[in-house]
Amino acid sequence: MRTGVRQSMAWLHGWSGLVVGWVFFCVFVTGTASYYRADISHWMRPEQRERVVATTPEALGQAAEVAVAHLKAAAPTAIGWYITLPRPGQPMLDLAWMTSLDAPFGHATLDPATGTEPATRATRGGDFLYAFHFELGLPPLIGRWIVGACAMIVLVAMLSGIVTHRRIVSDFFTFRRDRSAQRGWLDAHNMTGVLALPFHLMIVYTGVVTMALMYMPWGVSSAYRGDELRLYAEARQMPAYRMPVGRPGTLAPVAPMVEKAAGLSPEALEMLIVNNPGDAAATVSAVFEEPHGLSHVHPQVGFDGATGAVTDTLLDSPKPATLTHAAMMGLHMAHFAGPALRVLFFLCGVLGSATVATGLVLWSVARLPRTGEARPFGLRLVQTLNVGTVAGLPAAIAAYFLANRLLPVDLAARAEWEVGAFFAVWLMAALVPLALSHRQAWQAVLGVAAALFLAVPMANALTTGRHGLGGDPLFFWFDAAMLALAALLGLGAAKAGRAVAARERRAHRPARGTPALNRA
Amino acid sequence: MTPLVLVLNLCLSFAGLAALCLSMNRHHAQAFVGRPSRRRALALRIAGWAGIAVSFAVAVTLEGWNFGPVQWLGALSGAALLVVGLISYRPGWVRPIALAALPLALLVALAV
Repeated sequence: MRTGVRQSMAWLHGWSGLVVGWVFFCVFVTGTASYYRADISHWMRPEQRERVVATTPEALGQAAEVAVAHLKAAAPTAIGWYITLPRPGQPMLDLAWMTSLDAPFGHATLDPATGTEPATRATRGGDFLYAFHFELGLPPLIGRWIVGACAMIVLVAMLSGIVTHRRIVSDFFTFRRDRSAQRGWLDAHNMTGVLALPFHLMIVYTGVVTMALMYMPWGVSSAYRGDELRLYAEARQMPAYRMPVGRPGTLAPVAPMVEKAAGLSPEALEMLIVNNPGDAAATVSAVFEEPHGLSHVHPQVGFDGATGAVTDTLLDSPKPATLTHAAMMGLHMAHFAGPALRVLFFLCGVLGSATVATGLVLWSVARLPRTGEARPFGLRLVQTLNVGTVAGLPAAIAAYFLANRLLPVDLAARAEWEVGAFFAVWLMAALVPLALSHRQAWQAVLGVAAALFLAVPMANALTTGRHGLGGDPLFFWFDAAMLALAALLGLGAAKAGRAVAARERRAHRPARGTPALNRA
Repeated sequence: MTPLVLVLNLCLSFAGLAALCLSMNRHHAQAFVGRPSRRRALALRIAGWAGIAVSFAVAVTLEGWNFGPVQWLGALSGAALLVVGLISYRPGWVRPIALAALPLALLVALAV
């Protein structure tokens, strides 16, 4: 081989990073936002005031009865009911039900005190961004496969990037802004990548591992031959699943089951799952919160649906293989992180998003033609996609928050309209580079994103009674985050205007000492 | 995962990383004048790695072996970002802030 290892790794890094970079930027940004999924959901339901949530076994039992009564009327023939019980900070009952394996889940939110829909605006809240993180808004199987494939390629990109980074230790703190554009973007890319390298490697690897059984199912399918649910029962991740017998049956009252379960574990009861509720072989699973630790493991108690007797208790620590998988999932989701550590995780997520973004921009800057020459089609495509993704996605997220405040509260299908605003603004932002020059496109879309983020606290103050300085810490920090993002994007728009024009002229003259990027 | 332990870790990591940063020729020239002498570079390197090691020990002792390393890496990344930001935009501030971080770490350690 005439080319050395470093050069071939550079080629691999550049292409693997580019091909998945746009999708992965979206995965990284929405994933970083998901660290605050519950807070975002809370902010998007401003009518829901903080109130003391009773989590005594009796109160939870009552709430469970309310949920079951609603589900008996709404989905008596469902395959499964999934009831998320009230907990501190989240006083509502979240109901979901599966009618068939192909159809989407049915959803409802109930106020346990009244048994009816709560008086909050319909919205998907932070759950939309969370689901987008691993499904991209597509049908679940397709979305998860795309994200998984991109994540596996990103692992290749990360490792090849590490190998090709010649002076990874001596350049650890280096960020030169006084040399060429290419040098500056390369330094930014290296810095954001290396400073949080343990996080980046961990988060991508654990993300793939979380879905490992979907991407590599053959071990399970060959060992269990169609009876995969038995794997989860044997791995002690759920009580043994009972196939329905076809005879109708009545479900025993769930309140005694809830109270009995609550007495068996010190953890808070989180969820109730009813399998085959209309059948004589119905089972009920009481799922607890994860104990404080790295592992994403939920203790569970299984009940017979017709009699209410305990059939199975999964309260002890699972076996090593399950525990390892659960610890990796736990590291990815970071439920264990308190407020301070969560900020650090968020910061690392921002650095990761910046690594992808600077990489995408670097790819195009390194291939700018000499002044006077036309840009080849490939470069124009990359530049257009860069603007649409790196600047367009933040604009879309801001539009999602803005729509939450501006759409009428009683609008039909309100939640879908909010999601529609997200995609509509994103589409418009993605089309802008086709109409403007590259520099103007960056300025325009970054500027619009900054303006949208600035508008969010204002719309919030105007349409709800609760604003940042009203005493609620959530609203204070959310407003602060929106303003910080607006400032960051505005700064980016300003710099894009000045810098790109000057550097486009110098791009054909890279500074001395720049490692030669292997031009593909 | 108490915030105080994180602040302690941040202070120690910042001081250690700042020392490592200033031991390098390029960055020493950014903050002061010229390259460091061999002795100074060695002293800074030892101080730097010592700071990182102490922050690891603190994290594991106060938070256990499962959460400690996670928190240690998080604080290290945050401190590293701070060092890079300062050395790039305000190189003269690196040494004063690193020196101030040490008594601050001591104060926080007493409070923990």
